[in-house]
Amino acid sequence: MKSSSGIAVHLDGLTKRFGSLVALNNFSLDIAPAELVALLGPSGCGKTTALRILGGLDVPTEGRIVVGGQEISHISANKRNMGMVFQAYSLFPSMTAEENVAYGLRVRGVNTAKRASRAKELLELVGLSTHAKHLPNQLSGGQQQRVALARALAIEPSVLLLDEPLSALDAKVRTQLRDEIKRIQREVGTTTLFVTHDQEEAMAIADRVGVMSAGNLEQCAPPADVYLNPINVKVAKFVGAMNALPGILTSATTADVLGQSIRVRGESPNGSKEVRILIRPEQLGLHLAAEASEHTATITGHSFLGPLTRITARLNRDQTNLFVALPSAQAMNFPIAASVAVVITADHALIEG
Amino acid sequence: MKLKLRPAHYLILLGGALFFVFPLMAAVEFSLRTNQGKSYGLANYRWFLHQDGFRPNLFMSFKLAALTAVLVLALMVPTVVYTHLGGAKWRRLIEFICLVPLVVPVVSFAIGAITAMPTIFQSSPYELSFLYVIISLPYTYRALDVGLSSIPLTTLVEASRSIGASSRHTLQFVVVPSIRSAVNGAIFLAIALSLGEFTLAVLLHWDTFPTWINNVSQDNVLGAISLSVFALFGAIFIVLIVALAPNIRKSEKIEESA
Ligand SMILES: Nc1ncnc2c1ncn2[C@@H]1O[C@H](COP(=O)(O)OP(=O)(O)OP(=O)(O)O)[C@@H](O)[C@H]1O
Ligand SMILES: [Mg+2]
Repeated sequence: MKSSSGIAVHLDGLTKRFGSLVALNNFSLDIAPAELVALLGPSGCGKTTALRILGGLDVPTEGRIVVGGQEISHISANKRNMGMVFQAYSLFPSMTAEENVAYGLRVRGVNTAKRASRAKELLELVGLSTHAKHLPNQLSGGQQQRVALARALAIEPSVLLLDEPLSALDAKVRTQLRDEIKRIQREVGTTTLFVTHDQEEAMAIADRVGVMSAGNLEQCAPPADVYLNPINVKVAKFVGAMNALPGILTSATTADVLGQSIRVRGESPNGSKEVRILIRPEQLGLHLAAEASEHTATITGHSFLGPLTRITARLNRDQTNLFVALPSAQAMNFPIAASVAVVITADHALIEG
Repeated sequence: MKLKLRPAHYLILLGGALFFVFPLMAAVEFSLRTNQGKSYGLANYRWFLHQDGFRPNLFMSFKLAALTAVLVLALMVPTVVYTHLGGAKWRRLIEFICLVPLVVPVVSFAIGAITAMPTIFQSSPYELSFLYVIISLPYTYRALDVGLSSIPLTTLVEASRSIGASSRHTLQFVVVPSIRSAVNGAIFLAIALSLGEFTLAVLLHWDTFPTWINNVSQDNVLGAISLSVFALFGAIFIVLIVALAPNIRKSEKIEESA
């Protein structure tokens, strides 16, 4: 497979309004050549809108799009040379897998022999060479999305746009195809924007994850950074689970949480010293406590998740519910109704805004 | 979905079949009578084949039908596709316009054509095709509308455009093949309507196959019946061709892939 060098994408101040609704608000993002950026965010936050604007299927109200140093804001979708894979199955129902893949070349006037060999090459890349002559309704959902990916790549697109390509698939196929997309993207070296509302998917596939909320790009950083150093409370709460524990500010940058001192970032929302501190379930540990006190909690439930067990507990002090993730073998030491002391293993945390 | 047939269903089917088949069989039987009903033969069929104007009028009707079908497709496919994409706000209006021919009496339609059609059109029998397009609008619109509603049109069109296809390529390679049976339905309706249309042709003084049948059969009842049988089976034959054509291609593909 020929590897294209990858092309830089520069989205500059994109705003999209639908009537009074601001679907995208001053959205700026640079994607490096051959980089895979995943846009992550809740439903309706504008992920698809951003992707469609880059692909030319929607026109931004404001802002510029520069691809490979060339402004393409006013170029129509069919001249942008981008490969798209959609959330809904989008294979052309009257064409075989092979014809679907070759379609982009056919409309470019490439001759039959070249088209066929390229289609074959791409179907091989996505592991479907045996299904070349199948019609879309003879393919499973996962196979259809593979063909859609091959179809998008066949034109050697300058940018690959994937809009929740895996969301209609079952969990197993989804992880499998996700890893495969990553492999293929590496191999082909095409700059890629991948939209998803599934955090795990975004984290697993992307070089950088862009977390969106209500039309804004809150943070765009490598997956570990987004998870461990969320820039603000919105990102922290959207990515991974968060406990909001009661704490008391002891200075501008420290707080007392469950009797332990911890460095904190952010402002108290109402100026009061009593705040909520955000801590991840795996940043908490448990000890059996001899007797209940205001710093202890009572175990209220277990959910077995395989390697980890998620324990729910209620703080005696103010009845706050909290989640603790422990290796399943350890979790068995804390039966329901047991009194436990909660230990914070994080050395810094965010104040809930 | 498989429909399970119960005895009552069979009875209804049988009743329906008799209702259709009886008059047909009777017509076929009549059309084959020769020698004042004493024996059977193809004499009545030979009779109309040798009447003046059989071939030219039949061809004229075929040509009108073909032109009508082409015009219907060229006009209606892009229009209905448009109402399913960006032009949703025009949908009601276009649907309404397409239904109007149902309530306009053919006579006033003909008078309208005589007064309003450019004379250059009126000097050729092909003007009929333009009028047939209008008369067939209620049916062809419906057929295409239903077909387009049954596919994820927006996604397919966007997929096609994002890969680099122009609107014409998208229509030709993606949309039309995806609604093949609806397009065939529209073609069939346009053809059937043009082949059978009588009133407009008479009012506008053009000779077509239906007007010719009317003329020659005035004084030969059995000949008229055999002509109707001929026309009927001819029409069924055309339906079969239009209906089966796409399935042939499909079954080829499945075999290849097996
Ligand atoms: N064509 C449109 N007309 C009006 N509003 C629209 C249109 N397209 C999107 N919107 C609105 O813009 C907002 C952003 O939509 P978008 O499709 O980008 O969300 P999303 O992040 O992709 O959500 P999801 O995860 O559900 O796909 C939504 O509130 C949506 O209702
Ligand atoms: Mg979306």
